[in-house]
Amino acid sequence: MNLLLVEDDLELGNGVRIALANQGMDVVWVRRLDDAIRTLDSGAFDMVLLDLGLPDGDGIELLLRLRRERQILPVLVLSARDALNDRLRSLDDGADDYLVKPFALAELLSRVRALARRSYGFDDETIRMRGLVLHEPTRGVLVDGQQVELSRCEFDLLALLLRRTGRVVTRRVMEEQVLPGGPGIGSNSLEVHISNLRRKIGQGYIRTVRGIGYVVDAQSLARAGSPRA
Amino acid sequence: MIRGALRFIGRVIQPSLMRRLVLAQMAVVAALWTLIVGLLFYDSYKDPELLRFSKIYESVAAIAINLADDPKRQYDTLHAFDLALMETASDGNAESDTSPMLQVWQRGKLIYRTTDAVPEIFNSAPDIIETVHAGGREWRARTLHSPQFDTRVMIAEPGIWRLVVNITYRGYYLLPLLVSLPFLVVPAWLTVRLALRPWRRVSRETSERGPADLTPLSYRPPHRELQPLVQSINTLLQRVRDSTTRERSLIADAAHELRTPLAAMRVNVEALKAQSIDSGQRELMGNLLRSNDRATRLVGQLLQLMRSDAVSDAALPVALSLDALVQDRLAMIEGVAHARGVELELACAGEVPVLGERESLVSMVDNLVDNAIKYSPRRSVVKVQVAREQGEAVLRVADQGPGIPPGLRERVFDRFFRSPGQTQSGSGLGLAIVKSVVDKHGGSVALETGAGGRGLLAVVRLPLAVDGQDQPMLEGRG
Repeated sequence: MNLLLVEDDLELGNGVRIALANQGMDVVWVRRLDDAIRTLDSGAFDMVLLDLGLPDGDGIELLLRLRRERQILPVLVLSARDALNDRLRSLDDGADDYLVKPFALAELLSRVRALARRSYGFDDETIRMRGLVLHEPTRGVLVDGQQVELSRCEFDLLALLLRRTGRVVTRRVMEEQVLPGGPGIGSNSLEVHISNLRRKIGQGYIRTVRGIGYVVDAQSLARAGSPRA
Repeated sequence: MIRGALRFIGRVIQPSLMRRLVLAQMAVVAALWTLIVGLLFYDSYKDPELLRFSKIYESVAAIAINLADDPKRQYDTLHAFDLALMETASDGNAESDTSPMLQVWQRGKLIYRTTDAVPEIFNSAPDIIETVHAGGREWRARTLHSPQFDTRVMIAEPGIWRLVVNITYRGYYLLPLLVSLPFLVVPAWLTVRLALRPWRRVSRETSERGPADLTPLSYRPPHRELQPLVQSINTLLQRVRDSTTRERSLIADAAHELRTPLAAMRVNVEALKAQSIDSGQRELMGNLLRSNDRATRLVGQLLQLMRSDAVSDAALPVALSLDALVQDRLAMIEGVAHARGVELELACAGEVPVLGERESLVSMVDNLVDNAIKYSPRRSVVKVQVAREQGEAVLRVADQGPGIPPGLRERVFDRFFRSPGQTQSGSGLGLAIVKSVVDKHGGSVALETGAGGRGLLAVVRLPLAVDGQDQPMLEGRG
């Protein structure tokens, strides 16, 4: 994968370049806006990692220029500005993702990969997770190699949870995105679906966070030492 | 009833420009009236009307000359004439203070005078009006001389002050004023009110705008008196707007300057750690990363604090539901809690709409819950509750940690204060941020002892947004 890294800070730029190169990516690193424009014109890139505060202008200018030229080149903004407005503005202006500095290297790598998957249709159809295999196009689910039959709702819930492995999915999001008819006050249909799902795939996968939502942990419950099974 | 009366008195006592203007107009009218009356007095003092009619003198002289040979008839005729004179010029009573004096001499001898109470009045020269003193009083007098039988006729009018006192006493001065002033007040009040209309428009526009509205006034009065006022209001608004903008860009700059080196340090150490296989080195690098985390957290909190201090005049409060916001934040933070072996639990019943600035509320919730997780022992539960109670939105965060002694519960809201004997790492800013956000939103925060006498219970109360104002909110990004 060919990446253009636009970052004016010497240490950060160099560090990111080396870290990404260690992961087998080809990185071209420039430190100025006009260098970035010239480099983009001369070579083919799969993605741009863009810092916003550059010595010769705002990174947003490059973003707007790309979008004006109808380029669908994915852009991941790296910025120290964490205010909601800054993030929303960048996304409105056509950024594909936004990462606030300082970030963990693992998060940068996973966002770069996710963005590449989203943009180029790389393997995003099969999710594997601790013995669970979920194949979205055929809506098939395997538990420890065994085919499991799920209802439409149950499949969507599981897919939602697996796509966000390790992060809690709030009840509201689940109700809005999966349940027919959206969220109902005082209704326990979400609990019913989850309990059916647990009965079919086994108890060890979905953890309840009371009042908040559900999560599929990347590590099994026993290893994480959770107070409740 | 009494309160209403007090309010009325308050309104009456309170200074009013309107009343000043009306009173000023009334004062001018009264002053003008006094001036006119004074001029009339002065004129009649300087040149009394009666004394200017030479025909009267000539008539009196003619009577005295024609009846010179019959003193009895002469006197009677003069007396009759004098009575007529007094009735015209005064109240007809010769003893009255205001009545004029007629004195006639013939052949050097006084042949008639109005009253014996007043001695003879002599002018220094004929045919001039002058002030003379006689009988202890002041007179304006004029004498005409006829060569026939050496006849002299003198008419005198009383001096000015007696006249003033007399006329005032009779109400010639005050009565017209008292009668006409009420008729002048109402039109004056109406015209002043009409003329002050642009002024009222300016004051209405300034009072009706919200605290966050810093745009210039839309009404541009063409009047010379109002223009400077509106201009200085607009200049002031502009200055506040500029300083807010400056403050915000300062925050953004500080964020950038502080975070970029932290990010560089982190990325380099992580890349190094990925290459290293020496477990001793990896442990040292892990320490570096943890210090980096703490510095990052501190920078984040400082920025939150600056932002929350700057927020009230910068961002328009929006209607959002506190329950959804808390659920989102708890879902985000759950990873940290889970890694520490702490369980999060949220209880909320129905919508809890509040008016607020989203980012400030997010940092408030984050800091409260972060604190609770930090001080919780493993395998304990942090319970969060969102509810509406008596017109307020209430957020409760309870942990099962060591709690805070009652004596320190106020001080922990101070910036950089950390309770003594604290073993957890922290900046001492978390609760200061909570306090600042709560204050900006017009709410209150209190720390209490948790249920069963252990742990800490933080209670935040915010004003509830009016129902119907809350709109479906955007899903917050991570």
